[in-house]
Amino acid sequence: MPDWLIKILLTVYTKIPPALRPTLKELFAKSTLRVESMAKRRQIVQGRRVEFLDFEIAHLLPYELLGPGPDEVLVEAECSLISPGTERAVLCGLPGARRSFPYVPGYSTAGKVVKKGGAVKGIEIGDRVTGRIKHASHETAVANKLFKVPSSVTAEEASFIELGIIVLQGIRKAAIRPGERVAIVGQGLIGQLSNRLARLLTPALIVAVAPSRNRERLAMLPGGVDRYLSLQEDPSCVYDIGADVVIEAVGTPQANITAMHCAREGGRVVLLGSSRGLTRDLDMWSAAQKKNLTVIGAHISDMPEKDASPQRWTYEQEGKLFLELLQTGRLKVADLITWRAKPEECNAVYEVLAEGGRDHVGVTFNWTIKE
Amino acid sequence: MESLRIGIVGAGAIAQRNAKEAAASGAAKIAGVFDLNHKVARDMAKALSAPFFPSYESLLASSDVEAVLLSVPHYLHKSMTIEAASRGKHVLVEKPMANTLDEAREMIACCEKNGVQLTVNYSFRYLPKIQKARQLIQEGAVGDITGIQIIAHQFKDRGYWSGARSNSPDDWRASKEKCGGGFLIMNVCHVIDYLYFVTGLKGARVYSEYATLGSPADVEDIISVSVRLSNGGIGSISASSIMRGADQAEERIWGTKGTIILDGEGLSLYSTRPIDGKRPGKMFRYAKFPNVSWTAEWVKGFTASVRQGTKPDISDREGWDNLAFISAAYQSMEKGRPMEVIPFPEHGMSRA
Repeated sequence: MPDWLIKILLTVYTKIPPALRPTLKELFAKSTLRVESMAKRRQIVQGRRVEFLDFEIAHLLPYELLGPGPDEVLVEAECSLISPGTERAVLCGLPGARRSFPYVPGYSTAGKVVKKGGAVKGIEIGDRVTGRIKHASHETAVANKLFKVPSSVTAEEASFIELGIIVLQGIRKAAIRPGERVAIVGQGLIGQLSNRLARLLTPALIVAVAPSRNRERLAMLPGGVDRYLSLQEDPSCVYDIGADVVIEAVGTPQANITAMHCAREGGRVVLLGSSRGLTRDLDMWSAAQKKNLTVIGAHISDMPEKDASPQRWTYEQEGKLFLELLQTGRLKVADLITWRAKPEECNAVYEVLAEGGRDHVGVTFNWTIKE
Repeated sequence: MESLRIGIVGAGAIAQRNAKEAAASGAAKIAGVFDLNHKVARDMAKALSAPFFPSYESLLASSDVEAVLLSVPHYLHKSMTIEAASRGKHVLVEKPMANTLDEAREMIACCEKNGVQLTVNYSFRYLPKIQKARQLIQEGAVGDITGIQIIAHQFKDRGYWSGARSNSPDDWRASKEKCGGGFLIMNVCHVIDYLYFVTGLKGARVYSEYATLGSPADVEDIISVSVRLSNGGIGSISASSIMRGADQAEERIWGTKGTIILDGEGLSLYSTRPIDGKRPGKMFRYAKFPNVSWTAEWVKGFTASVRQGTKPDISDREGWDNLAFISAAYQSMEKGRPMEVIPFPEHGMSRA
């Protein structure tokens, strides 16, 4: 749209009474979608999706989208997994995660292909796929960014894809060697997945460090950790761990320091949580420098698109590996789900998440339940 | 259910309204009318096709009278309740229950002793918008209540204080001794009661400032009260009967998940939750409510409690709680410090 037209539209818009603006905005969006639909000869699809309407308010709303473009597929969701840290940060307006509302959350969903564009190869209608898709009943996605789900992997398990990739790239950078001592700081979903993926690398010991014992039961399930330490019970417990490798899976500056305290001299600390928040008075000298620590940043946004190395695989490689681990039964994730919610329950789900998540770890939306 | 045979005591404007609504409720039969102003009482009795009684004693002596509805100046509530209860009559008394907690204690003890029921006319609770607000709060529309605000401002002209619009002009409303107080005990008491009802909370501690700044009275015509609520929330009241040309009547109840605004026409709700199937995060207006006689509902409820031998919806406890709040507010100003609101004595009035 040319600048002069945007200027005119903005001038007109500011003259409209605020109470009428949402309705007019909606009408405008609907009209432009219809124009686009005709111009591109793509049908309009009706769906439902979770929207953050304002701080700490989520709601399931109907919405319209265009059918798939040439290189896209239309996915009918079966199960979507909440990414607790990121979604909570946006919902609550935490530092580093300010977004404007309404905002459509979600990026880890499994479903079925119900329509495909003419240029799509390798994926057929009816195939089960998973990938970076929002919490929505229907969504279009570029076909080659999705993963085909092996037949023995359930939609629920496959919906862990994005979280799995996040953790795999961190674990890879940690380069855990057999016999090493590992500490995982934080026992939310990322922490619990870290427990299990680290376990596959045969360390001598995995210690979970968390504020309370609320998530101990899940952490100690088969494939999880050997020991569980509660910071509430003994804040100084971290100094005795002496881990060769520490995975920080919280996402706060304070947790970064806790992770450093867990490491032995010369140890490695992988910052896996998306650190949000600002802080002062961090004693980096005694926490990191004096101990000669190696601190490794590990965020999904830094994954290479091509030219993978042993320490940095591509998004596609990690995704395939994650599904393979699920397929072969070497990794289990379904028991990490503590709340299987209907999409209609999203308001209550996010209310709990905003308040800290209580004891929940994995929370999914099941899109196959028809109201 | 058999109608309750009620003797109407007092024939002022409110008494006339109460009697009419009680008769129309279908739950009561007007069994007699008494007022010191015999002419007004006779006219009222005639209009209601009920017998006129020349004295309170004669009305109480009538075996046809099961209960009395007292719409008389506040300072008479105690003595007239005690007289009625002593004669085995149930009592419906206008708000406030009494002028002081000592008076209320005596009234409750006497009714308990004589096995009669006592109710106070806080019938605004039966207004559909109030019932709706209570339902919304019970459904979690506002979450945990954190604040309550009452704003009540109007203008009472000089004639009000001398009873110019009354059938029997009298300046009792201007007297602290006879009325117990001013705008708070006379008018805002209703709002305090229905907010107790709507929220399920009570005032725990209050601090107030009040004054008489523009009325020919020795009771307050402006008051501000800060309240610590029973759940730890904070409330405030700003009220006066001397605001010219800009009446205000609005209550706000807010909590961790939303806000309810009550006003003259209805209520508005903002909730972060999808209440009543409505989209969260938006202000919604509830303005269409059925036309209900709150007084008739009050009488119906009381008749049912008498016939079934159960505690009335608005019982001595509700009357006490309201008066305890108001008394604490007045004492706070007089003593210059916050006052605890005295809870209803759970172990009976005679031992309180």
